[in-house]
Amino acid sequence: MGWLIDLLPLNYSDAVVAIGAALLGIAAGALGVFAVLRQRSLVGDALAHAALPGVCVAFLATGAKDATTLLVGAALAGLVGALLMVGIERTSRVRPDAAIGVVLSSFFSLGIVLLTHIASTNDANQAGLDTYLFGQAAGLLERDLDVMAVLAVVALAVVALAFRPLKTTLFDPAFAGAVGLPVRLLEIFMTMLLVVAVVIGLRTVGAILMVAMLVVPAVAARQLCNRLSLLIPLAALIGAAVGVAGALIAARAEVPTGPVIVLVGFAVVLATVLLAPGRGVLWRGRKLARDRRRALVEGVLVDLETTIHAGPPPTPRELALASGRPRRQVARALSALDRAGMLARDGERIHLTESGAAAAHAVLERRDLWSAWLEHGWKLRLPDAREPDPTDLRASLGDDCADELRRLALAGDGGGAAGDAGQGAR
Amino acid sequence: MSDDLTIILTAGLVATAAGLLGPFLVLRRVALMSDAVSHAVLPGIVAVYLLFETRAPLPVIVGAAVFAVVCVIGIDLLRSTRLVASDAAIALVFPALFALGVLGVTEFASGAHLDLDATIYGEIAFAPFDVWAFGSVEVARSIVLLGAVVLANATLVALLWKELKATTFDPEFSRTIGISPTLLSRLLLIAVAVTAVTAFESVGAILVVTMLIVPAAAAYLLCDRLLAMIAVTLGIGWLSAVLGHTVALRADASIAGSMGLVAACCFVLALVLSPKYGLLARALQRRRRRREVRAALAEAHAAR
Repeated sequence: MGWLIDLLPLNYSDAVVAIGAALLGIAAGALGVFAVLRQRSLVGDALAHAALPGVCVAFLATGAKDATTLLVGAALAGLVGALLMVGIERTSRVRPDAAIGVVLSSFFSLGIVLLTHIASTNDANQAGLDTYLFGQAAGLLERDLDVMAVLAVVALAVVALAFRPLKTTLFDPAFAGAVGLPVRLLEIFMTMLLVVAVVIGLRTVGAILMVAMLVVPAVAARQLCNRLSLLIPLAALIGAAVGVAGALIAARAEVPTGPVIVLVGFAVVLATVLLAPGRGVLWRGRKLARDRRRALVEGVLVDLETTIHAGPPPTPRELALASGRPRRQVARALSALDRAGMLARDGERIHLTESGAAAAHAVLERRDLWSAWLEHGWKLRLPDAREPDPTDLRASLGDDCADELRRLALAGDGGGAAGDAGQGAR
Repeated sequence: MSDDLTIILTAGLVATAAGLLGPFLVLRRVALMSDAVSHAVLPGIVAVYLLFETRAPLPVIVGAAVFAVVCVIGIDLLRSTRLVASDAAIALVFPALFALGVLGVTEFASGAHLDLDATIYGEIAFAPFDVWAFGSVEVARSIVLLGAVVLANATLVALLWKELKATTFDPEFSRTIGISPTLLSRLLLIAVAVTAVTAFESVGAILVVTMLIVPAAAAYLLCDRLLAMIAVTLGIGWLSAVLGHTVALRADASIAGSMGLVAACCFVLALVLSPKYGLLARALQRRRRRREVRAALAEAHAAR
């Protein structure tokens, strides 16, 4: 990893932290997708708590506060906890969230009891055992980077090699079992990888950061794409970007790295949830407002056309009365039509200009076509079974089908069928 | 009042306050809300310390409660966009709030004694030493506070029983009959936040988290009716309080930890022995069914 550290235009310790955060982000991003899509987002939290009894047992067994021993103890306890979690979920009616909660609180309670036991039987040697697991990113060593690099490579390699079975198991475990995939083995294996990632993350960046690192990339990436094969690389990328950005900001502002990474990640998730194209809250809100506005303007245009057709040109007030719409809405739509050059005013009274009349006729024709589709659509021989776009039937069906529909509608009316004098005849 | 009785009563009150809300959390699949709250209160405690330079219990409870409510409402808002599943929403909001708190501690309060353990983890063993005097009667503060919370929760659940039940089991239906699932969910979560914060201060976070999840999850394995589930939850909660205290005394271990372990044992027993949903019952049922099928097959074979 030395060459990479030299390559970055940062001082040594900042470079180490940034690379570490990036590697952890890649691994956690790729593995987190599987946890998040199975509604086990908080598995990281549970594993972090489950590690405590593991550390205690390892200490009791060896009597030494050796880093590797304690880490192995934490990993083993985390694995047992994770398998119990999966087991409870699989064999009983308890849902994932409650299963995670039960494992989390049971293991942590056990850890506390063991801690008090150690405190009452051992000497001062045990001090700091409970905080042992909660690390600091600033304390990362170059040696840790190698471990994390291996983890990231293994995680990506496993996901890439076993992509199809993993995907099948993820979305349809019953089917995966039926076609002979080793569902349980895959699940155990993925859980093991997750445990290793969490334990490494715990030691280096802290428990709470690890929870966020698993979830943030997956959720942010999920807003941006719909395919698992894109989701995983995108999540790894977002994880790395969030890690590096957080580490750099923290180094610049001289504050702890972990919390800054979490806050950067949260900001990224908020941004994607609000702005994601096609899905984001603001995006949907803007589209809804636009659609409503268009529907209003078209409706008022048609009302105006029919009123003019029936009698003298109305005032805005008469138009509002005739169409049963609130006056303010009518005024808003009229000013929009005015701006588009579709209205001609004669004192208070309103006419349609030529372009306005054309637009009104276009809307009416679209409506007629839609009624015809609802009534006669089943008679058409369409090349595919898709539902057409109701806002623009002609474009989505093609001119031939649209003309055919019109013919059918006219024939239906000409035949004097009793019930269809409504929409279609206007 | 003797110290042991105070401790048991405190734990029992926590079990009652949590047991009234826990079943709803488990049924609504947001059991981990309590764990989220236990971490999310940190910025509130830090803010109170920064603004008022105090670690007195009441201001701390208020500050923590504000952020607990921010946490649950934030999670609920994120959930209601329908873009993020509830478990992911929980896992996003509480680390962010906790991170804010950690930054606050390291930036502004590092000189003070405000380390992460001491702030949110009260210790149930100290409950008897902190008393409020009412005239000549001295009552432990934790009992007064938790008693009030139990009363509030019981009132909430009793008054909104029908509404809570409807929104828990069928939110769409309750919306059509004019009960807002969003409003009920927020009310419930605010109650959880207030309960958790009050209880953290007197008994420590892990016991509260345990009492909110484990007894309710065990009861879920034993019952099919909501009222029965709440009753069983309360029973398991009190059993854990009493037995856990005894175990802790015998083994000279952490009281909160022992109570949590007893609750966990209850869950395991329910998981294995539940008459309807237990592993044992289901294994027996599977075996009986297999035997029946085999007998039927043999009969059909013989008849041919």
